[in-house]
Formats: sequence, C-alpha cells, structure tokens
Amino acid sequence: MSDSSQWKGYLISYSNDSLLLQSPYIHNDCTVYGPDSDSTTMAVAGIQYLQNQGHHITAIHLTESIDAKVIFMSTSVDSPQRNEELPTATVDWQVIEGEEATLVLSQSDAEHFEFDEPTGTEIMDDDLFNDMNAAWEHECSKQHVSQGAYVSQSQYLEGGTARLSLASQSFEGQIIWPPRQMDSSGNRLPREEGLLSDRATVESWTKLSAAGAPSEFSLRAPILGGIQTLLVKFDEGPRGVFLVCDDVDYSPTIGDQVEFGVRRIYAQEGLIRYGLKAIPSLN
Amino acid sequence: MFVAGNGAFLDSTGASYGFGLKKDRLNQMLVLPRLVMVDVAVIGAGQTKYGNHQLGLKGMWAEAAENAFASVDQDFDPRQVDEAFIGSVAFGGGQLGNTAALLTEHSGMEGVPVRRVENACASSGFALRDAWMAIKSGQADVVVAGGIEKMNDLSPERKRFWLGVSGDTEWERLAGLTFPGTYALMARRHFHEHRSTHDDLVHISVKNHMHGFENQQAHLQKQVSFEKAASGFMVADPLTLYDCCPTSDGASCVILAADHVVRQFTDDPVWLRSSGAGSDRLALHDRPSITQLVATQKASKSAYSAAGITATDVDLAEVHDCFTVAEMIATEDLGFAESGQGGMFARDGRGIRNEGSVCINPSGGLKSKGHPLGATGTGQAVEVFKQLRGSVESERQVRDAQIGITHNVGGSGATCAVHVFGRDRNE
Repeated sequence: MSDSSQWKGYLISYSNDSLLLQSPYIHNDCTVYGPDSDSTTMAVAGIQYLQNQGHHITAIHLTESIDAKVIFMSTSVDSPQRNEELPTATVDWQVIEGEEATLVLSQSDAEHFEFDEPTGTEIMDDDLFNDMNAAWEHECSKQHVSQGAYVSQSQYLEGGTARLSLASQSFEGQIIWPPRQMDSSGNRLPREEGLLSDRATVESWTKLSAAGAPSEFSLRAPILGGIQTLLVKFDEGPRGVFLVCDDVDYSPTIGDQVEFGVRRIYAQEGLIRYGLKAIPSLN
Repeated sequence: MFVAGNGAFLDSTGASYGFGLKKDRLNQMLVLPRLVMVDVAVIGAGQTKYGNHQLGLKGMWAEAAENAFASVDQDFDPRQVDEAFIGSVAFGGGQLGNTAALLTEHSGMEGVPVRRVENACASSGFALRDAWMAIKSGQADVVVAGGIEKMNDLSPERKRFWLGVSGDTEWERLAGLTFPGTYALMARRHFHEHRSTHDDLVHISVKNHMHGFENQQAHLQKQVSFEKAASGFMVADPLTLYDCCPTSDGASCVILAADHVVRQFTDDPVWLRSSGAGSDRLALHDRPSITQLVATQKASKSAYSAAGITATDVDLAEVHDCFTVAEMIATEDLGFAESGQGGMFARDGRGIRNEGSVCINPSGGLKSKGHPLGATGTGQAVEVFKQLRGSVESERQVRDAQIGITHNVGGSGATCAVHVFGRDRNE
C-alpha cells in the first residue's frame, strides 16, 4: 500500500521509500504536463517531498531531459549530470522518467514499482494543451528571439539559489530575501545560509491582461487569458512577487495562504528560466 | 556688487561680463569659497504637443527648444547657454548613446557641455534638478533642462519590453510585472488598507481628462464620463484603460537663468524656488509599505522646507499620475491629503481646477496630456511656468496662482524629484 495525495500541484504516491509523481492532467487518455511544468519541475517537487519526509539525499541520477543545475539550485542535491567528478558511491537515488508525465524517485534498482493509482486527475482542455505546447516549442527554439526582459544567464544563475530555493540572508536578527549586497552602513552582508519557509500570505494581487503582460509572456498570456501575480509576505518577514501557477484556477484574496513550487517562467536564448510560482495552500 | 571670498567680485546682474570672460572668472572661482547664494529663475519654457509624432528625435527637440527660445521675452541666443541637461530613457534604444549631444547640435547649442540624464520616468525632473544645481553652485548662469522620448514607432512587443526596463528586471519581470502590474498591486493594497475604491480612481481619471480637454498640447484631448471611465477594458486588475496614461511622443525644454542675469532676458521670470529629491528601493517587494512613496515624501519635504512653504501654500501641482492610483497616493505623500485619505480627496473633487483646495494636474497630467517618459518632468515645468505667468489657454487658467509644484516619479517610486516654483523669490 502507498500514501496517495497532492504535493506542489502534482499527484504523488509514496511507497517503500520510493516516490511516484504524476501530473494531474489527462489529455486523450494520456497523462500530460500542465502549462508550466516539465520533468525538471516535477523532479524538484519529488526531491523536496523526500527531503520533507526526512530523507537525506546527497546526489541523484537524473535523466537527460532534467536540468541538473536547476535541481541543484532548488534542492542542493547534486547529480553526475551536473558534476562529473561526483563519487559514484554518493549517488544513491535515481529518477526514472515514465513515457507519460510521470516520474519515479527511488533508491532501488528494481525495474518494476507498485504504487496506488493517484487520485485527483482532471481532463485538460484540448485547445489549451495544443496551444501551450506550440507556444513553448516556439519560445524554446533558439531561433526565437524574445523581445522580453533580458535577464542574462549569469544574472539568472547568480540569483538562482534564492529564486529557486528561497535561500535567505540573516543579519542582525533580520531575515533578508531576495538577497542584498550591503547594509546601510556600507558593510557587505553575509551570503545566503537559511531558507525561508515555504508558506506566505497574500498582501496584494493583480491579473494582467494578455495585452498588458510583459513581452516575454506574449506567446502564452493570450492562451491563459492573462497572467496573475501575487505580492506575498513570508512568515519570516520578507516580501516577494510571484506568478501563480498557470495551471491553477484560482481567484486570490488578500490574506490567502500560498506555498511555492518550481515551474517554468519563460524561455530565452533556448534556455528555460525556472522560478518559484505560487500555489494556493491546501491547508 | 556682491563680494565673494578671497577678494573675488561678483556682479549682481552679470551684464558687464562677456560670456567668455565670465566663464574664465567662474573657472577661477572653482577654488574660491562662494559667499553668494544665487536664486534661479525660469526665463523660458516650451514643448511639443504630446501624442503620436511623425517627427523624429531631432525634429521634436528642435520644436520644443524653438518654443522655449520664443517664450523668452527678450531675444534669446542659444549660444548663451552654459550647460544643458536632457532627460531621456532613450526608449527603443535607437539613440541610446550621446542622445543629448545630438539634440543640442541640432538646436543651436553646438559645443555646449551636455549630457543625457536617465532616471526612468523622472529623467527630466532630475535634469531640471541638475540644471538648478549648476546655477546654484555658481558654475553656470544660463542652463537648459529638457527631456524627450519617442515611444510610438516601435512594434508592440518592443514597446512592452521598453516599458518594463525601469523596474527590477531580475525579480519583478520574472514575476510577470510591468508598471501596470506594480501600480495595480499598490491600488489593491490601498483599497484594502484605507477603504479607498476604484471609483475614487475614476474620479481622478475624469478630472484629468476634463483638465486636459482644453490643453492644446495634450495627447488625449477628450472628456470622459464617469460611467465610461468606470467600465474600461481591464489592463491590470483593478486598473482599467482609463486608469493608465498613454504612451506618447514628445519633447520639452526649460531655460533657467541665475538671478544676476535674469533681467537680460525678462522682467517677468518665474522663480524656481527649490528642488527636492529622494530615492527608494527599486522593487516594490523590498519596501516596508506599498501604499506610500518614501521618495516622494523625502523630495517634497526637502523642497517645501527649502522654499519655506507648506502644502497648503501650493495653488497648483503637476503630479506624476502615470496611473490614477499614483495620483491618489501622491496627494497624500505631497501633503494635500492625510495619509490614507487620497481616495476621499479625489471623491470630494478637491483637486479640480478653481474648485478644490489645490489644482491637481491642470495640464491634464500624464493621464490626459500624455507621458513621453523622459520629457514628462520638464513638461510639467512648462505647464507650471505658463500657469504662473498666466499664459495658458484662458479657460484653463488657475486663478491667482502664485505657487506651483512639479512632482516627477521614476518607475514605481524608486526616484522622485519635486520642484517649487513661485511668482516671488524665496524670502
């Protein structure tokens, strides 16, 4: 028997220290990724679930389709795909990618796993599925030159750990996020050491029309009918702005509790930019 | 004749010095303590009409400069200009470098020390401040401050990119925010904290369209009914199309002079009594509050103090209403309404020309007059100059106007410049 439930927008089933993650969306009887998910985002969620369950994961073997840098920045879990010098003995977990939008994370070498069928699937609209896939395909192609905000790869990677794992600084009793460079006396602040909690309260929100959305979202915003952004305050004090997961039907209210999951933000120069998006809290 | 330190002498009118000689003298004075505090006057101001221009950068700037030169009561020779500061975001990137040198070259100011000033939408507000400081410091006697932006010759995608470059690119843009979004977050929070409503914003929109209707320089010269403004297309919930300023092409130019040379140019100057400025954290989420702009509070406090006035002394204010909520918050930060009461201020019509306690945005503001980013700050000064001299269209003249201010904000409040203008000099 396994425990079946939802985690960061995915369906999960946990059994014998192995984890099944499955996208909740069904299209033409197949399980498919939601509008802003892929194997990388699901693998991050899986590792975070296992860490949340008390597993100490040092390294994990990833599949080719998974962005190893994003896994490392999000979870601090290394992989041979990112670090070729990683001792093989330390890699005691692996990700197995199913044909449909399904992943298994396990320490076992078994070829067959048994999980309870996750519940909570929903049918994905035909147009939404096709249009979003086409939009991402176009956006991810190297030929596509986005007129969007230019966040260079180095700038994106410099802030990556804070963006993907909520790594925060601690200085004179204050928790600081996003990271800052100096205090008001001109002293350099320490590097990020702790992590913010995964929960925050909505302080304001907006929904930008497709016409008002930044140009890097110009391919997908019309399909989604606009994009939603929340201003939230974390329990520790810092505030942040986050997109709402594209695949969540959610009308925010000030005071709502949200949690966060790694999702695709947009693509530029053939590289997908990942970041945290807000998910309405189930609790 | 004023006496400066170490035996240096300064003529109170400057008329007896040729400009070459004067510059030599000023250069000598770089090393001398200055005892004379110079007052600064606006001797001329002009702009293009804001809107969709067929003219390019050079043509627009030449038109604004020509109008400013023509507004000087005595003959004005651009070769008399000692320094020039031109604000621009260089929207579109077409002339990102050396913008100002190109423009002065084409407006009779060839050879004048010049630079582009960039502070997002507050670019020319800060150009004006820099010009004011150049005269106050004694380094220049006649200075041009101006601004320019060409926004409507880009594809929609490029335009949306450039409209967002002044926010926190790394964090806000990755959360899908451009300025309609950031100001929408501010509006919703203000509604929540202070029980203001979208109807309050509609009142602002209607008022500014009413003010701008008679302004021949305005981009959107049309009145808007409350019902229409209340039911506009949703741009960034809760802000509709009627809460947002247009993207405009335009240029504006202001000529400042030191008190000792003013009479060469006019007997009817408007005095630039003070300049205040402030800054704040760039990203909305890094600020303790998003329902007030600390930069505006700092800038106005500094400007009012230096001019020896309070908010109640102000007859008219050109306020940075890139979105209607920006005006609502500004009326609080500038001291016209109590904190949290900006909505009620708008609802009660207290900013309506010749009806309220102070006329807010007699030009129509950014909402109606338009918002060519880099040109907006000095464009506001053009309006105040004309209002205080009684030279606007008669139907939109603010009665008995003695003191006017300009309030120019960069981005969502990262930078702000406030200037106080008066018919009289500081006492």
